[in-house]
Amino acid sequence: MTGIDGCLAEAMTIPGARGAGLVDWTSGLTLGAVGEGPDGDHEAAAADAAELARLAFENGAFTRAGRAAGPVEDLVVTARGSYHLIRFVETAFDSSVFLYLWLDRAEANLAVALFRLKDLTARLVLA
Amino acid sequence: MTIAPGTDLASTPLARLAAEGATGALHGHAGALYLADGAVVHAESPVVPDVGRRLTAGGRLSAEAWEEAVAEGGPDYRAGRFLVEHGRLSRGELELCHLSALFDAAYFVLSPPDRSQRAPERFLKEARHWLGPVRPVPVPLLQRELCRRGDLLRRAWPWPEVDTAPVVPVPGAVPSGASGAGPTCGRRAVLEAADGVRTPVQIARALGRSAFATLLDVRRLAAAGLVRTPAPGAPAEGGPRARTPLPGPAPAAAVEVSLLYRIRDALEAL
Repeated sequence: MTGIDGCLAEAMTIPGARGAGLVDWTSGLTLGAVGEGPDGDHEAAAADAAELARLAFENGAFTRAGRAAGPVEDLVVTARGSYHLIRFVETAFDSSVFLYLWLDRAEANLAVALFRLKDLTARLVLA
Repeated sequence: MTIAPGTDLASTPLARLAAEGATGALHGHAGALYLADGAVVHAESPVVPDVGRRLTAGGRLSAEAWEEAVAEGGPDYRAGRFLVEHGRLSRGELELCHLSALFDAAYFVLSPPDRSQRAPERFLKEARHWLGPVRPVPVPLLQRELCRRGDLLRRAWPWPEVDTAPVVPVPGAVPSGASGAGPTCGRRAVLEAADGVRTPVQIARALGRSAFATLLDVRRLAAAGLVRTPAPGAPAEGGPRARTPLPGPAPAAAVEVSLLYRIRDALEAL
């Protein structure tokens, strides 16, 4: 893993991956992107995904539910022909970043993709 | 306080330097932007927590580890690479933390909330920053992001007075008990740090947190009626803006070294 570019290159090896990006959800800023963006536009997709991520991350109903309260880890959006996955990156300093992955639903395996995303985001910030 | 809609970004000094593929530092009253081959490689502002403050505030790095990187790597303009090569940080962590600090500082350098401060215009050719390049940002991407940030602030609460005034919580406005109706994580931390004296950027510094994210939280808290919005043009409550140093651990020696670099750059830019 060599930083953001290495992380995104590995994300593209997940079966069914069409595009991936690292996004700051405070503003919707794209820190890096590879492959295709939905509608051919990484920045627009990042802004939409960031809005969704912020709502989920900041909503007490999700973060304080159940016995083991804690931050939201993943978001899964299923759409006709696609999966859109958001995996929050946990850092030991202030940040608000997630890894976004757009998958072709016919080729992807949702469980495998979620497992790989979790591993990728952990290794991105592992010294 | 933000870049006005319709501002011709192509005519700014920054856009001209980008078009020329310039290398050097663009200095202003609110900080500096460093360019390499026309791309932005670093930004710093005294009102925005820098990379060292962000990494040490939450305990990711000890003050000593940061200080060592600045002292050992700084003279060769490679303090960032020093941290990665010595296993103190992963490359990903350095990139995420540095980009966050870069966009945060650039926002305050190019559109300072204090309107008496002008945009930067003094350019020092060939100046480099001691942290070294991490992940260069193209100027058009930076400008699009700063416009988006201005829009987010306006949409959250269109009264910029809350950006520079002390943050004063409205008594009794926060529902008691940790029910779902209260403010969320980031805003809760901002509200808890609001003592009626600190301004949003002073709260950001105390928390080692993004100054822009703190401004946005303060505007959302104001929109929700949880903090006061000062009347436009009225003197801020609490008298003159507090200049007292903030509590909290400061990596003293590292601050001194980084301050020396900054003073040197500023003197050379005169």
